[in-house]
Amino acid sequence: MSKKNWASHRQAKDEKMQRVAPLLEGKFAKTSDVVKILERLLNSGDKVVLEGDNQKQASFLSKALASVDPEKVHDLHMIMSSISRPEHLDIFEDGIASKMDFSFAGPQSTRVSQMIADGSLKIGDIHTYLELYARLFIDLIPNVVLVAADKADKDGNLYTGYNTEETPVIVESAAFKDGIVIVQTNEVVDKLPRVDIPGDWVDVVIPADEPYQLEPLFTRDPQHITETQILMGMLAIRGIYEKHKVQSVNHGVGYNTAAIELLLPTYGEQLGLKGKIVPNWEINPTPTLIPAIESGWVQSVHSFGGEVGMEKYIAARPDVFFVGKDGTMRSNRAFGQMAGQYALDMFVGSTLQIDKYGNSSTVTEGRLSGFGGAPNMGSNPTGRRHSTPAWQSLKPDDNPLGKGQKLVVQMVETYGANKRPVFVDKLDAVEVRKEAKLANVPIMIYSEDTTHIVTEEGIAYLYKTSSMAERQAAIAAIAGVTPLGMTSDTATLNDLRNRGIVALPEDLGVRRTDAKRSLLAAQNMSDLIEWSKGLYNPPAKFRSWS
Amino acid sequence: MEKLNFKFKGTEQVKNKAHVGVVASGDLEVIIKPTTNSESTLNIVTGSDGFKEVWQSVLKRFFDRYPLIADFEINDFGATPGVVNLRLTQAMEALEDEK
Amino acid sequence: MKNSFVELHARERAIVLLDKGSNRELIDPYDNMISPHLMPQGIVPESDDGIIIEKGTLEGKKLVIISIEGNFQGGGIGEVSGAKIVAALEHVLEDNKNGIEEYPIIILDTGGVRLQEANYGLLSISEIQNQIVALKKYVPVIGLVPGRVGSFGGMSITNAIMSYIIGTNRARIGLNGPEVIEQEAGVREFDSSDKDLIWNTLGTTQRQATGLIDEVIDDDIDSFKKAILSAINEKKDSHKTERTDFYLSLLDSLDPSEKLNISSYQKIFDNVKEQEHHLPQAVASDKKHTKSRGRQWFEQLTGIKNADSDVSTVLHAKKDGFEYIAIVPDENNPFPRVRHGEVGLLEGYTVASVVNDLINSEKNTPKEEKTPIIMVVDVPSQAYGYNEELIGIHMALAASANAYAKARQAGHKLIAFVPGDAVSGGFLAHGLQSNRLIALDDLDITVQAMSKASAARITQRTIAELEEATKHVPAMAYDIENYQKLGALYTLIKGVKGYDSDEASISKVRAAIDAALADDDDETLKFRYTNKIAKESGRKATNQIRKMMDEQWDK
Repeated sequence: MSKKNWASHRQAKDEKMQRVAPLLEGKFAKTSDVVKILERLLNSGDKVVLEGDNQKQASFLSKALASVDPEKVHDLHMIMSSISRPEHLDIFEDGIASKMDFSFAGPQSTRVSQMIADGSLKIGDIHTYLELYARLFIDLIPNVVLVAADKADKDGNLYTGYNTEETPVIVESAAFKDGIVIVQTNEVVDKLPRVDIPGDWVDVVIPADEPYQLEPLFTRDPQHITETQILMGMLAIRGIYEKHKVQSVNHGVGYNTAAIELLLPTYGEQLGLKGKIVPNWEINPTPTLIPAIESGWVQSVHSFGGEVGMEKYIAARPDVFFVGKDGTMRSNRAFGQMAGQYALDMFVGSTLQIDKYGNSSTVTEGRLSGFGGAPNMGSNPTGRRHSTPAWQSLKPDDNPLGKGQKLVVQMVETYGANKRPVFVDKLDAVEVRKEAKLANVPIMIYSEDTTHIVTEEGIAYLYKTSSMAERQAAIAAIAGVTPLGMTSDTATLNDLRNRGIVALPEDLGVRRTDAKRSLLAAQNMSDLIEWSKGLYNPPAKFRSWS
Repeated sequence: MEKLNFKFKGTEQVKNKAHVGVVASGDLEVIIKPTTNSESTLNIVTGSDGFKEVWQSVLKRFFDRYPLIADFEINDFGATPGVVNLRLTQAMEALEDEK
Repeated sequence: MKNSFVELHARERAIVLLDKGSNRELIDPYDNMISPHLMPQGIVPESDDGIIIEKGTLEGKKLVIISIEGNFQGGGIGEVSGAKIVAALEHVLEDNKNGIEEYPIIILDTGGVRLQEANYGLLSISEIQNQIVALKKYVPVIGLVPGRVGSFGGMSITNAIMSYIIGTNRARIGLNGPEVIEQEAGVREFDSSDKDLIWNTLGTTQRQATGLIDEVIDDDIDSFKKAILSAINEKKDSHKTERTDFYLSLLDSLDPSEKLNISSYQKIFDNVKEQEHHLPQAVASDKKHTKSRGRQWFEQLTGIKNADSDVSTVLHAKKDGFEYIAIVPDENNPFPRVRHGEVGLLEGYTVASVVNDLINSEKNTPKEEKTPIIMVVDVPSQAYGYNEELIGIHMALAASANAYAKARQAGHKLIAFVPGDAVSGGFLAHGLQSNRLIALDDLDITVQAMSKASAARITQRTIAELEEATKHVPAMAYDIENYQKLGALYTLIKGVKGYDSDEASISKVRAAIDAALADDDDETLKFRYTNKIAKESGRKATNQIRKMMDEQWDK
């Protein structure tokens, strides 16, 4: 009777590693051997994680992957946080890969929809970041992971620094389940600033021909903040931050929230709110937060990733940011998402469409952009048990077992910059679901989780509504002159105002004409540099001064 | 580019003039002048074609709230309805300041 | 917190500089003097056409502030906007002549010529420059370049002519925008996506280090007021356009084929040994030169065969009591971006030097005996190059425009004869300061503010669309017959083409020049907008603006 082999995965890994042994010196392979390494370590049909989120990309390895011989390697099952680079999809056209599980597809979203429609891309599912990471330990356990590091030492220890992001969670899923960990590194050094990933967990290190791609995705030039965004920011500060005494928050990427960050030291100060609201943040080190930090509004900032140009500033503010003993920041996308889901009072985001029920989506007109992290932060975690004043302030009065709720705020101008109404009868996502044959309509944030909507017209306090009809009336009341908004009449509006379900600027003591750019603590990038005392060094593409 | 004309009934005859805004990308200028007519006349030049109904809605809401009688000249370079409303309101406040 | 000046719109900028309540706007939005040329091209106008003129006081001093709105059509100058500036400056000059001390402040935030009204833009800008040259004799003409758009194109030439320029670190100054240089000369010449390169080259830090801007201050309203007052009180004038010998010496000392960078240029700039330059007259030779209409007509009018000059691209000679000046191509020019007749650094400063020499040599000559200047105009464009922008080609063109305007205002009659192309900065430097323009009726002649390729790119149209759009719009015409409809030409000579060389043609041209000279009885540029064609059609809006300014000035 033959004994069952309980270590077949380990043997399979050993066999693979034997194939590349001639190409390795210790754990190190030559830059020029990268394609050969991949061809020998990847079996057709393998589950492969390719690191890449909306900021950091293992771009050297993704380019190499696109160059492997499809005769040798084909039908890979790719697991990727973000479909960001052209080659991420090229590999599907070439047959190198055939199935994809992902969470976000920003720059490639149009092509993703097209390729799904023509059958060249098979989708497993679309996830939030946290879900995708979770599945790496359950039913999407990878055979091979391809990740990026800033520096590696001779033993294969890795320094991932500011942009540690999702590297630890990906490596962990492979290293302890006989997967193979392949790392591209910007640099090989004798001594690392600190060890972010132990060399033990790493199988192959390849020096990259150029540094991994890094996008300054969270940088918003204050120059482009409009008076409408400032008005909405003022409404939010008065009608939400102040009203609910919000202590911890995540801001989405966008000019609306950048405006709020820049209004805290000016408008917030005028309102006497300093020390009373938002000391604790889960947010990437967005440069527009600098004035609030410098004027003492912010006690702590934990981040999913780094932000190009903020390195020196962060290093000089260890009381605020998460910084290692070596003096450089460490980020962690998985922990950030966890914190964002469970530990925050409030999420403030923006979206491209909101339907009449209050469901919102960024999926529009054949662009399948996925989810990223917003649904984790923009949802009420029913597993939450601890209480904070803001959370508690949303507790319904009429339910003895009732509990608080996370504040989930959508901020939108009623018409987008393209002059299309943001408030719609039916989300484009409904059509996209059909075309892409998805199980569910790709909704970013569901109505039931959305507690507030802010527009230039006012605020709808959706959590106060007691029926779907009332919720719809509240949304229509602040939907301006969109077709949905035109269904609202003055009588209903005034009734909603009287019951505190809708607030107009005048109800909150906000004068529309006070919404001036001069109210922003920084009006351009050089103001931000000045606030940072010269420590912030924005990427060249934001340069607008000499 | 499209030229639009609207008339709205009002009750309050404007006595001063006001000018706000700049014909910058996504923005507009609004000029309000007193008139001897019994209703408001609006001459609009807009860079975004096909938004007549949206203009009608924005203006209706504005005149419902502020039943002015005046001549309006508007030059619009692709402003959203939110911005249009903001500028109209600012022009109103400028009229108040003139008083 | 500082009170940002840059953040403000043009009207607010003008008002905040003036003592509270002292301001009065001339030809304001309620006058609604919109450009008549925009709506026919499907473009939304602005009630002030992007130019705000405010009279008022600053600590009691009388100021006239001319503020350009950079957010409207990129601050481009067209007919109405240009005429507002010219008319205001004319009144300031008149007031100062009459003993009323009044200071002009021009707030520049402009890409130069408004391409949809290109021909008007060029004419207006030359008229603005003429007024500034005249005014500088009385009061400093102060320019502010606060930034965001900065000062580009023809208006960069204008700012170089002003007495004193104050800016912030958010401004850029240059003749050609990086996109245009990339379009004309390729991405290797200037990568318009490289923002560091752009700011390091065109930003005010570099401009101040190399003498192209006089003062860089904080972006703060009070800082601007203070700087303006001290410029007024100390009558500051850096005479930037008079530095021809310095720049000609600088150009002698560099290798034109080598691409400069910020530091290599700074070294050259700091080590210039200034020497006097005087260009001798062109002489006959048996050398072969690059053929061009400008060269051919220079030779035909002066009788100098195969004219040869120490500066291969600038020919001048005194003949029959006239001073002839031509800018010509040299396909072997060591300056790689100046091989097809463009006006480059050397051309601008050399022409300035030649004209200044003439002015100086006849300083004491009675007006009626001063030598008339005949410019032979065949300039396909200004030079598009990185070195040119780094060194400041706009100042070179300003030097020559300034010299021509000075000559005319000193009493030299100035005729421009156009047998070839007359395009953009080249035309501003060499041609547009004349008060009598004579052109051949030859449809091969191109008159414009920008090449078709660049104009198409900047206005986001195809060349075919652009050609279709411009065919029937004199404001944007590329041909001389449409150009004539503006009233800008004194004579359009029928029956003679650019390369004609027969005696009859030459006599016809001579006769036209003589007729123009005989009729030339003023030292201004007013002929262009006061002649019949101009009044009846070509410059109607200009004349209306002038009339309104007269009516409103002393209200």
